[in-house]
Amino acid sequence: MKMIIPSIQGSIEIDLSENLLKTNEQIARENRNLLDQFHVFAVDILGSIGSGKTTLVQQLVRHLKERRRVASIAGDLTTTIDADRIRSAGAEVIQINTGGECHLDANIVKNALVKMNLEDLDVLLIENVGNLICPAEFPVGAHRRMVVVSTTEGPYMVVKHPYIMMDAGVLVINKMDLAEIMQVDMEQLKRDALGIKPGLKVIFTNARAGEGIEELISALELPGH
Amino acid sequence: MHEATLANSIVQTVLRHADEAGAKKIRSVTVELGEWTTFNPEQVGFWVKVGFEKTIARGARVFFKKVEGSLRCNSCGYEGKCPQPHDGMDRMIGLVLECPSCGHPDVEIVRGREAIVKTIKIDT
Repeated sequence: MKMIIPSIQGSIEIDLSENLLKTNEQIARENRNLLDQFHVFAVDILGSIGSGKTTLVQQLVRHLKERRRVASIAGDLTTTIDADRIRSAGAEVIQINTGGECHLDANIVKNALVKMNLEDLDVLLIENVGNLICPAEFPVGAHRRMVVVSTTEGPYMVVKHPYIMMDAGVLVINKMDLAEIMQVDMEQLKRDALGIKPGLKVIFTNARAGEGIEELISALELPGH
Repeated sequence: MHEATLANSIVQTVLRHADEAGAKKIRSVTVELGEWTTFNPEQVGFWVKVGFEKTIARGARVFFKKVEGSLRCNSCGYEGKCPQPHDGMDRMIGLVLECPSCGHPDVEIVRGREAIVKTIKIDT
């Protein structure tokens, strides 16, 4: 309810108390309801460019496609590189080019969902734009948030991105094969994450070689798995 | 630049309400930002002022208030602040989401993630 407070200077002050994020949150809830109606489990995948998100999606598709009907939404600023790679792994892909926007939001995902045949789908992998800061504020309606960092990004990826950990269900520490050469302590990255969000599931992977993918699938807790 | 997205929402919200109230001039705007959001008030403020150019809000003052974070513990029932380490500029260093009372990780954030246009001051 708006409250109008007269001011002595002749101006009036209006109490709006309008939540700017509520529209996105509302659409995110609608997306979730739509996915639930069709029994589709959605995972929002977040990580910097080069962390291995697309390679992980490719591996998840390869590992899951015999057991589940999998599709993907690939967010990117301007290219179709990721969508092409995921399609080559054997999943239907909807490409979203955000132009310049640094995150997917609930509305852009909603527009992608209407293009998908949700009836023929069990798992939807939503690859967000390569960024670990901006998407924190914009839930898209997924059931699980999976955050990806890699050893080649250095030892401070987790402590420097605390906000994205708040809503994470699973943290993937990728490129475990390169940890030694990068002199990055993966256990320290894990401790950093658990220091922010105790109880967070942390999985080590080498996505390129397919190592850790089954552990990741278990950690995602897909329904009926 | 998610600050630009938020700034655009602030500009649209302020102008819409000012128009509904029959404003001729917008003097000031107060925005509340949760301490556990990634929005930097300096940057949001800059983009809001850019958005206000060529509108009745041109030159309006933009004030930001920090909303202190609080959480509820699903284990011991604690509800309240969850103090975080800060630097000398009153900015948070790191983040720890566990119950400050019993240390349990099963907590829900009650406040601290909002972005709200609280008030506008207008001339009619």
